[in-house]
Amino acid sequence: MSLAAALRDRKVRDVIAQAAVAVSLVALLVYFVRNASQNMVKAGIASGFDFLWRQAGIDIPFQLTGYTSASSILGLLWVGIVNTLLVSAVAIVAATVLGFAIGVARLSRNAMLSGIAGAYVEFARNIPLLFFVLIWYFGVVASLPAPRASLALFGVAFLNNRGLTMPLPNATGGFVWALLVLAAGIVAQVALLAVSRRRQARTGHALPLGLTGTLLVVALPMLALTVAAFGTGWDIPVLRGFNYRGGFVLVPEFVALFAALSTYTAAFVAEIVRAGILAVPGGQIEAAKAIGLRPGQILRLVTIPQAMRVMVPPLTSQYLNVVKNSSFGAAIAYPDVVSLFMGSALNNTGQAIEIVAITLALYLAISLAVSASMNAYNARTALVTR
Amino acid sequence: MSSLPKHLALTAVLTIAAGSVSAQQLAPSPTLDAIKARGHLECGVHLGLPGFSYANDKGEWSGIDVDYCRALAAAILGDATKVKFTPTSVQQRWPVLQSGQVDVLARNTTITFSRNATLGVNFQGINFYEGQTFVVRKGAAATPKDLDGASVCVAAGSTEEKNAADWFKERGLKISIINFQKNDDAIAAYDSGRCDAYTAGIGALAGQRIKLKKPDDNVVMTETISNDPQGPTTRWNDERFQLVVRWVLNGQIAAEAYGVTSKNVDEMKASSQSGDIRRLLGVEGGFGAMMGIPNDWMYQAIKQVGNYAESYERTVGLGSPLKLARGKNELWTKGGALFSPPFQ
Repeated sequence: MSLAAALRDRKVRDVIAQAAVAVSLVALLVYFVRNASQNMVKAGIASGFDFLWRQAGIDIPFQLTGYTSASSILGLLWVGIVNTLLVSAVAIVAATVLGFAIGVARLSRNAMLSGIAGAYVEFARNIPLLFFVLIWYFGVVASLPAPRASLALFGVAFLNNRGLTMPLPNATGGFVWALLVLAAGIVAQVALLAVSRRRQARTGHALPLGLTGTLLVVALPMLALTVAAFGTGWDIPVLRGFNYRGGFVLVPEFVALFAALSTYTAAFVAEIVRAGILAVPGGQIEAAKAIGLRPGQILRLVTIPQAMRVMVPPLTSQYLNVVKNSSFGAAIAYPDVVSLFMGSALNNTGQAIEIVAITLALYLAISLAVSASMNAYNARTALVTR
Repeated sequence: MSSLPKHLALTAVLTIAAGSVSAQQLAPSPTLDAIKARGHLECGVHLGLPGFSYANDKGEWSGIDVDYCRALAAAILGDATKVKFTPTSVQQRWPVLQSGQVDVLARNTTITFSRNATLGVNFQGINFYEGQTFVVRKGAAATPKDLDGASVCVAAGSTEEKNAADWFKERGLKISIINFQKNDDAIAAYDSGRCDAYTAGIGALAGQRIKLKKPDDNVVMTETISNDPQGPTTRWNDERFQLVVRWVLNGQIAAEAYGVTSKNVDEMKASSQSGDIRRLLGVEGGFGAMMGIPNDWMYQAIKQVGNYAESYERTVGLGSPLKLARGKNELWTKGGALFSPPFQ
């Protein structure tokens, strides 16, 4: 085939065009990076990634990674990542649970229930999230008492406008065992589930899974936890000077951001749930009734699995939004990636280009990971067409 | 008829020579050229800090940093009103200066080594000696040491954030620092009871206390935990513009030392026999021309804005709501730390 003939082939032309676009994009990127670094050197602005190993020198009131002000800026970044993931994860779970409840309530035949759910959805969806965050924050802080008038919970945990101060165990050995018991319980329950499925297919009778689940996943781990709790010493907070000392503090910034993210996102999740349930054809439910399934079984075995197929793609984008929206925490001093890294670290080092690039890459990585796991779930539950 | 081309060649040589001579006299200054071409100075200031840079409800700026920018505009352009102020947050200030969006930053920003060495910025002198301290609710604490165990609100990325962490750690005390992105958010959180104290410079706090819901229920501590000199900041390169920025500030301080004020500057210019004053006001010496600006540069700055003392008293001193004594911001001859090299 001659060159001219090859060029007349549409496939070849497409490949060439795409390659040209890709090459020019890369070239453009290289040009930008080179241009920026040359100009920064000329302007005397430090560049490169050495700053990540410099001492951060600032204190963070809420962190789970063992960071101190002597840690490096990389350590600071890690605190930010963990805090971002932590608040996003709990907000996603809470928003899903709350959203499911509101979405189902909105479909209720009870006019008052569906009316309230509808009003909530309209209210929450039409208010900017920053407003939500600030209202929750100043609302939470303002409504809680000052440290000297703290609300004591069982005499060991204290709630005030500096946060919820909780006792912390001096040793973690017992709790690791409790966690192992929980893990073993879950594995056993999953195995039982498989056995039960097979048995039901063969004989029509399922194992009493509810009972075994309560025993394996709830009761035994709780027992282990209780044993662990009484077996170790506790660092119980005491009021000294301005506030309680010792223990672990759940700061109001976390509570406010978590509450704002979950109540805001729940409204969107509720609409997705409602759409998903309404998308299941009525004939499916009638058929389920006809073969004698109970209403709970219909919801669990027929409606929800089919509704999930419709719900998963839009739910994915809501979960991604939660991760991205967690950056609103910067407005209320929640130490997330944006606040710590793009705020404190950027100001202390002045290396804006590197820091913004790292932050972008981080959010991209987190979002792609969430997206990939939801896509995997979607692929598994998608309708198999033959 | 060969004389015409020869004549032309001679003219060309002379023109080039003259051009190179004038180029030798003045180093190129893209910043000064740009200011003259656009007809106003671009000055980066604080978002809103009474006494330093604060826009009132009519949008009129006032403050000691604002005054400095006005004096610089008067020196370069002969008109103190030809300034455009760009309010900047803690985060925005460096990119705004580095990218050339402003010509100079006068934004009560602390001079530190690492900023000077890594941000591509130069500090041109000190127009305010700031010291970090705390505002607390009345009776809560008297000195910084009493704050052991307290929650302290602070603006993220400020020198105060690091200072506080270092100072308390050195003394084996523990405080909980809550970092906000903007000073105003940090103050609002302090005001709502989230924190026991809010920390900033003593001058900044004097201005910010006024913004609290009940200013009189809060006190600013008098003991400071740091020394934070602040002054006008420029980009690296363009030494001729840096020269102007530095010497306008020196000129304001020198004018106070020489007793030249906005009231007596005309009289001084007409009749003073002091060589220092005559050179400062451009009667002799031709100092302005050496920098490529009018010779009456400091005359205009003092006439339109005033000397350092006039500016200080009007903005942060006893003639202002902040009522700060001069302290370190007094001439070195009177026990302070302000000093100008001689105008010779």
